[in-house]
Order: sequence, then C-alpha cells, then structure tokens
Amino acid sequence: MGLLNFTRDPVPEAVSGDMHNLNQLSAQQFSALTELLFRFLTEPKEVERFLTQLSDFATMNKISLGPLKNIVKSILLVPNGALKRNLSSEQVRADFIALGLSEEKASYFAEQWKVNSPALTRLAVGQTLMINQLIDMEWKFGVTAGSSELEKVGSIFLQLKLVIKKGSQLENVYVELTLPQFYSFLHEMERVKTSLESFS
Amino acid sequence: MAALQEVEFAALQSLLKAPSKDAVRQLCQECFSSPPAGLGLLAQRACPGLAAGPDEAEQLVSALHNLTRHVVYRGLTRAEDILSLFPENFHQNLKNLLTKIILENISAWRNEAQASQISLPRLVDIDWRVDIKTSSDSIIRMAVPTCLLQLKIQEDVALCGNNPVVSALTMELSKETLDTMLEGLGRIRDQLSAVANK
Repeated sequence: MGLLNFTRDPVPEAVSGDMHNLNQLSAQQFSALTELLFRFLTEPKEVERFLTQLSDFATMNKISLGPLKNIVKSILLVPNGALKRNLSSEQVRADFIALGLSEEKASYFAEQWKVNSPALTRLAVGQTLMINQLIDMEWKFGVTAGSSELEKVGSIFLQLKLVIKKGSQLENVYVELTLPQFYSFLHEMERVKTSLESFS
Repeated sequence: MAALQEVEFAALQSLLKAPSKDAVRQLCQECFSSPPAGLGLLAQRACPGLAAGPDEAEQLVSALHNLTRHVVYRGLTRAEDILSLFPENFHQNLKNLLTKIILENISAWRNEAQASQISLPRLVDIDWRVDIKTSSDSIIRMAVPTCLLQLKIQEDVALCGNNPVVSALTMELSKETLDTMLEGLGRIRDQLSAVANK
C-alpha cells in the first residue's frame, strides 16, 4: 500500500478485509450506507439514532450487525483524517482505491464527500478551542432619577449583561457604561469588525 | 426640611477661630468628601486649633459635612438659596465666606457625588486583538480570524473607597458573535438618538 493522504500512521490490518466486504455490496446498498454515514458525520451527537439506523440497514440487507460495525469503523477512518487535513475529493477517492475499494464505489464516496465537506469543515472549526467564549449579550439603558447624594440626577446609564462560557459553565458578567464609554465601545467594535473582515 | 439643626449652626461658629480663609476652604472640601464614618478621624486630624475639645471638633466636622451635602443634594446653585439656609443671627462674614466656598465647589462636588454613587461594576477600559487561528487538533490547517476582547471592570466605587478593585475579563468572539453584538449595539445607538431627538 502506497502513501495515504488521510493518515501518516499505518492502517489497521482489518481494513483491507472490510473494504473487500464493502465491494460485495450492491451499488444501491452502498449508496444507502454512505447516506447513513454522512448523516452521522454532519450530526455527530446523534449516536443513538445512527446505531438504530445501522441495525435497521443490517436487518433489511440480511447482514450481521457485528461485521457491519467493523466495516463502518474502517470507512470512517478516511473522512475523519480527510477533514483534519482538508483533503480534496480526488485525494479521498485515491485513498479509498489504495485501501482496496472498487473504483466505482470510491468515486461515489468522493462525490458525496465533495457535497458534504463545507458543512463538515464548519463543524470541525466550530469544535476548535475557544477561551471564555461570549455566548450572549443583553442590555438595558435608562435614566438615573435620583440618589441618596443627589436629589435630581437625570444622567443616562447603559447596563450590559454578558454571558461567558467558562469551561463548561456559563457565567454572567454585569457591566455599566456611561454614554461616552458606550460610543467609544461601539467605535472599537466597529474597528474590530473591519479588521476581521479584512482577514476573511 | 431644615438643612441643619440650631446646635449644628452653633458648632459652625468655631470656624471663626480658623487661621485663614484657605484653612476653612480646605476643611469644607475634606468634610464633604469624607464619608460619615470617616468624620471622627477627620475631626482629630484637622481641628486641633479650632475647637476646645474633641467633642466640639466632631460637632464642627459633622455640621460642615451635613451642610455641604445638603446643598449638593438639593442642587442649590444660587447664592440667595444658600444664604437663606443660615439662621438670622449667624455671623455675617462667616456666612458669606461659607456661601462663597460652597458656590466655588458645587459643580466639582456634584460630579464627585455622581461618580461615587452605587452602580453595577463599571467598565474602565477596553482592549482588543485579532488573531488568526491556523491550526488545532481538529483541523490541521485553517485560517479563521477571531477576536480577543479584554474588558477592565471596576467593582462598585462606594465599596472600594480608595482601593479600586479592577478585574480584567478576557473573552473570545467569533465573527458571527461580533456581528450579532454590533447589531445590538447599533440598535442601542438608534434608540439613544431617537430619545435625544425628541
């Protein structure tokens, strides 16, 4: 087996056997299985649903679930590595062929990969580490009518509530701003937006 | 509501023993700025020459504090209003001097009162930086711009006194979050200008 695109580590031995079994599936069965796999990849939290659908597929096509699970594990190695390395559909196709999958099935999978990769990439970027991510912002502003030191005040205040994700917990931060501070905050944020846009 | 009680005005007469007008001015400023709890210390420190004993000193300081605070609370800005606070038989020159000193300081004192009123933690400073994420354990190569925003927040001024507690909060914003935030801030600005134009 030549150099693979999706991984630098040696591939487990079982993979070529699994690819051989995959080749035995009809084109229809393979496309149904591929659809299942991509649905799981785009919604990785739906593990229960994926397993149910897999066992339905196994029953419908008279395949035993155990070997099917192994096959699925082997197939999933490629898209996971491809996502990490931003592989093109050509490279994915080449890898499947190198692993022993038929050209027809490899091309089909690569096509599906092309269609789904923007969504999958966005998902992977979204999982990237974020420190103290800002989740939500609520605000209110009003007028201070009076205080214990001043009978009549009439000054404007702005209060912000920022919801920050610290680790797995959400923390609320309350801040008060005067009007000039608000305008300079707005000005700074607009500068940030310009900066971010110039890098996108 | 009378500004001060008779006995307090009597205590103010101790100011006649002050060495100079500037000394009176200084004392007025210190009495206004001091919180009620700090008046005792102020009395000991500032009034050795003015008062016969510690009790008199405390009464003087407390009377000055109440007088200045009352003027600021009511927002009195005219000399006549302040002069009318004093009783009929109050020493004429002292009354004029105190009124003059109060008028000089009234707007600074008003700002001081506003700055030290209770509030939620206040924003003191904003700093930001834009990073480009190039790699992570989930994707080996990418170019995602992200913003790090640091807010310096000061806890309630009234609680901290002279030692402001400033905490720095650093948070990360993605481009989408920033856009949403700007939308919200823009809405605030529109509402503010609608209120201002009414």
